Amino acid sequence: MTITGEGAVRSRTAPAAVVATGVTKVYGRGDAAVHALRGVDVRFGTGAFTAIMGPSGSGKSTLMHCLAGLDSVTEGEVRIGDTDITRLGDKRLTLLRRERVGFIFQAFNLLPTLTAEQNIRLPLDIAGRQADQELFDMVIRTVGLGDRLKHRPSQLSGGQQQRVAVARALVGKPQVIFADEPTGNLDSRSGAEVLSFLRTSVRELGQTIVMVTHDPVAASYADRVVFLRDGLLVTELARPTPQNVLDTLLKLEG
Amino acid sequence: MIRATLAGLLAHRLRLLLTSLAIALGVGFIVGTFVLTDTLQAGLTHSIAASADKVDVAVLPPPGGGEKPALLSAGDLAAVRRAPGVAEAEGLVRGGAALLGKDGKAIGDVATTGVSVIGGRLNRTQVTSGAAPSAADQVVIDEDTARTRGFAIGDTARVLDATGAPHAFRVVGLFDVGVDQQLAYTGAVGFTAETARSMTGEKGFVEIDVAAAGVTPERLGGAVTAALAGRGARVLTGQELAQELAKSNGADINVLTVALLMFGLVAMLVAALVIYNTFTILVAQRTREMALLRCIGATRRQVFGSVLLESAVVGVLSSALGLLAGLGLGTAAFAALRAFGQNFPTTAEVTLTPRTTVLALAVGLVVTVGAALLPARTATRVAPVAALRVQTGEHTFRTGVLRVVFAAVFLLAGAGVTVAGVLAKPGETALYAVMGGGALSFLAVLILGPVIVRPLARFAGWLPAKLAGVPGRLALDNSHRNPGRSATTTVALTIGVTLMTLIAVITATTRATYTARLDEQFPIDYLIAPQFASMSEAGATLPRSLATTLRSRPELTSIVEIRSTDARVTAAGRSGAATGGTPQSGGGRRTAEVGAFSGPYQPVLTAGTTQGFTAGSALVAADLAGRLGTGQGGSITITTPEAGAVRLKVLGVFDPDTVPLPEITVPEQALDAYFGPLADVRLYVNAKDGVAADASRRAVEAAAQPYPTAKVRSAVEVRGQFDEALDLVLLIVGGLLGLAILISLLGIANTLSLSVYERTRESALLRALGLTRPQLRRMLSVEAMILGLIGAIVGVVLGIAYGYAAARTLMDEVLFRVPVGQVALFVVLSAAAGVLAAVLPARRAARTSIVGSLAAD
Repeated sequence: MTITGEGAVRSRTAPAAVVATGVTKVYGRGDAAVHALRGVDVRFGTGAFTAIMGPSGSGKSTLMHCLAGLDSVTEGEVRIGDTDITRLGDKRLTLLRRERVGFIFQAFNLLPTLTAEQNIRLPLDIAGRQADQELFDMVIRTVGLGDRLKHRPSQLSGGQQQRVAVARALVGKPQVIFADEPTGNLDSRSGAEVLSFLRTSVRELGQTIVMVTHDPVAASYADRVVFLRDGLLVTELARPTPQNVLDTLLKLEG
Repeated sequence: MIRATLAGLLAHRLRLLLTSLAIALGVGFIVGTFVLTDTLQAGLTHSIAASADKVDVAVLPPPGGGEKPALLSAGDLAAVRRAPGVAEAEGLVRGGAALLGKDGKAIGDVATTGVSVIGGRLNRTQVTSGAAPSAADQVVIDEDTARTRGFAIGDTARVLDATGAPHAFRVVGLFDVGVDQQLAYTGAVGFTAETARSMTGEKGFVEIDVAAAGVTPERLGGAVTAALAGRGARVLTGQELAQELAKSNGADINVLTVALLMFGLVAMLVAALVIYNTFTILVAQRTREMALLRCIGATRRQVFGSVLLESAVVGVLSSALGLLAGLGLGTAAFAALRAFGQNFPTTAEVTLTPRTTVLALAVGLVVTVGAALLPARTATRVAPVAALRVQTGEHTFRTGVLRVVFAAVFLLAGAGVTVAGVLAKPGETALYAVMGGGALSFLAVLILGPVIVRPLARFAGWLPAKLAGVPGRLALDNSHRNPGRSATTTVALTIGVTLMTLIAVITATTRATYTARLDEQFPIDYLIAPQFASMSEAGATLPRSLATTLRSRPELTSIVEIRSTDARVTAAGRSGAATGGTPQSGGGRRTAEVGAFSGPYQPVLTAGTTQGFTAGSALVAADLAGRLGTGQGGSITITTPEAGAVRLKVLGVFDPDTVPLPEITVPEQALDAYFGPLADVRLYVNAKDGVAADASRRAVEAAAQPYPTAKVRSAVEVRGQFDEALDLVLLIVGGLLGLAILISLLGIANTLSLSVYERTRESALLRALGLTRPQLRRMLSVEAMILGLIGAIVGVVLGIAYGYAAARTLMDEVLFRVPVGQVALFVVLSAAAGVLAAVLPARRAARTSIVGSLAAD
């Protein structure tokens, strides 16, 4: 597999936000052992929007969980900035997530008891930090939630809920945002909106985003797509389009 | 269907265990009660049988109608001895014989009982060490008295005879009083038959025991009955005697059973609430499972049945568990009694009767299945299509009109009945009214629970939420997110806290009221009263020389002597209608205490005056005047030995609660004229101003020392004894209610762990967003703490309100007191208990892997 184009160059030259070196993940022991990751080396440049793709069971979600410090690695090293997170205990890891990582999940992103605004401010509140009011206002304007701030999740549509989740990830200005199938539960129009916000935040705020998806259209919003198969990084695409992502996927599965 | 239910149960073993524990504790308590009381009963029957076995026939005096029980005479004994078939017959003597302690004062408030110890085959006294008395100067003392008063075999014991003269004896043995409650209470001294008669001054026998000479007890009984014909004595065979004794002693055990069962009932009620809540939550959580079952063809009836089957399995398992726990509990309680209690028979083996087993299983099963009925009905309402919905929505609770109407009706009815009870004259009816009102109000709170839980949570959670930061704020939201669930969880705790507060308020109020009355009616420093000569008579007196000695002490002042005796009294001139009051039937004629006081005392009257308090006039207690149908200005007639019938004008009326005078008080010279010289029955003594308490105490005790039966009590001691008694009540009731509170804590733990399970993904999200494990644990602890506080607040409010109402029905003119310290302690303990209940669920929540939970369905 050849590494092609500008994206690859950019990812090498820009300082890396996240670097994984020789990451393996094994579930279970002995005969029942499942090798989810078999030694993945990958770097994610600062200010870049990267998508992780691969067929079902390729280990893309596991990779994201390991990169984000939600799951431990069996072997290898993961750095966020200059911190080796594989050496951190639960407490330091939690503090790191709180201060330097943002999350957007596929579903169940929001606490049902809190209003949209409270949900957006939650990570900052947990960290005991004040929101940058200018940034907060800008994010709210961008995702278009101004009149929905006092609503509870049950009063919001799926697209609105996901936009709240995006806003929450953005206002903390984390070093990196991990998005796990953020549009998986949305109709295509809402999905496109959410993806545009993500791309805008990369372009205008210099935000670093790593997104796991199985949707070639979603992946085409990224600057770069890395492909996994059977727990190994097999190829990557710079400047992806839905068509060449789909082609690559078909090749991988075929 | 059945297989699916059972598989589901097995899959959730921990949940099953927690739920079972609530019922098991309640059942265990009930079983424990029965095991304990059955064992006591069996021991009682056993030792009575062993004792009565020695007697073929027993003769008892005719059932006495008088104040002093009738006795059997020496003539009766002689008659029995002459009857055919009698091998041996002995009369048993029993009467007051005050044992003096090592300090020279008679021990106890009632004189120890002197009994005769007879030899030969009819001896029923169990001498446990040493020997039975065989000479006039030998005694045996009951084990308990010997232990507490420090007597050992070989010691010299001094005992007062009937005239109050001391005699010295040598202690030759110790004996066990067995099941005899009277001897256990007073303590006992055993003499030879002859000495017993001379010491107690009793002329007759309380029982004649007969041994047969080769005839059956029935034939012997016939012969004895014939010999005693016309004397009214009761003749029983040994077996009948045993039955009779067992019955009279068993009554005490029945009272114990009923009292303990009341607490068992409370515990079961709380357990039922816990079960109801658990099943409601389970049904809600398994909506999709139920819907799936409906989709694949299960009928409503089958879904209903599956929930009930689950509850039945839980019920049977927990009852079995409770049976084991109860057996242990009963055995432990019995062992504790064996260690502390002396008058309990200790011979029996721990008994688990079939009745107890059946009852325990039935109670556990019925309560569990009964509590699951409503949740099971809810389960049948799940539509099959619910299986296809991705996510069940948040529970939204809307206050229904019907709920408010019902709650209002119950609340109004409860408040109405309670107020009626409070305003009524204190007594049983008023108390029942208040109890009924309390039950109705509690139902109102139960119905209204989901409505009031939210504001209460805000109130109770304000401070914790402030202090605990973000976890606290989240906890506050979570605590009332499902109001119905929170309400049921906290109501279980409310029951325990309400009852605790109620008891605390009643005891504090009683204490305050009693102390105030004591200050009013006991404006004295010391009370000297004689020890009661025996259980049945209270006519003991103190020689008047004691008062003279007291008056000579420079440390003491205002010595008041009270002398009195009983006399027949009738309302004089009933046709004259002094007050217009109609005497109750038979109320015109009765026995009353007639007496006089000498010394500086000015009684406070509720009506009339002490002006002209001379011979021919009397001051009368208000309650007696009422019963006689007379009042101030009326007249009464008393029958006296010296002056015959004397007509007295009622000069004034006093309140017997605050004025410590005889019911009918006459001038002191008049008393002598009516009854001849009487001795003192009580002495009131005050210390001179400026004399230290211990100096005055020494003076009083020195004066009383020559009089062994003169018991000196200071006002402080009287209060102290009362305080101790109240504290003991509070402690026992608190301990027994502890069980209900423990069960309600299990309920909180159960609700919380089910909620934690429900919110697995939410917790994972919070952890991903940077909530540390300690913060997550803190969040759940604060939530449980808020639940505990809600339960405590409602309980404290209800408890104080009903403590007040109940106190009003128990006493006139109560001084209402809220024991603020205790009540605050209940609240703090409830909060702490909530935190404790959250420990396990919180640990489990914090340990859960984030990735696994996020991926979870």
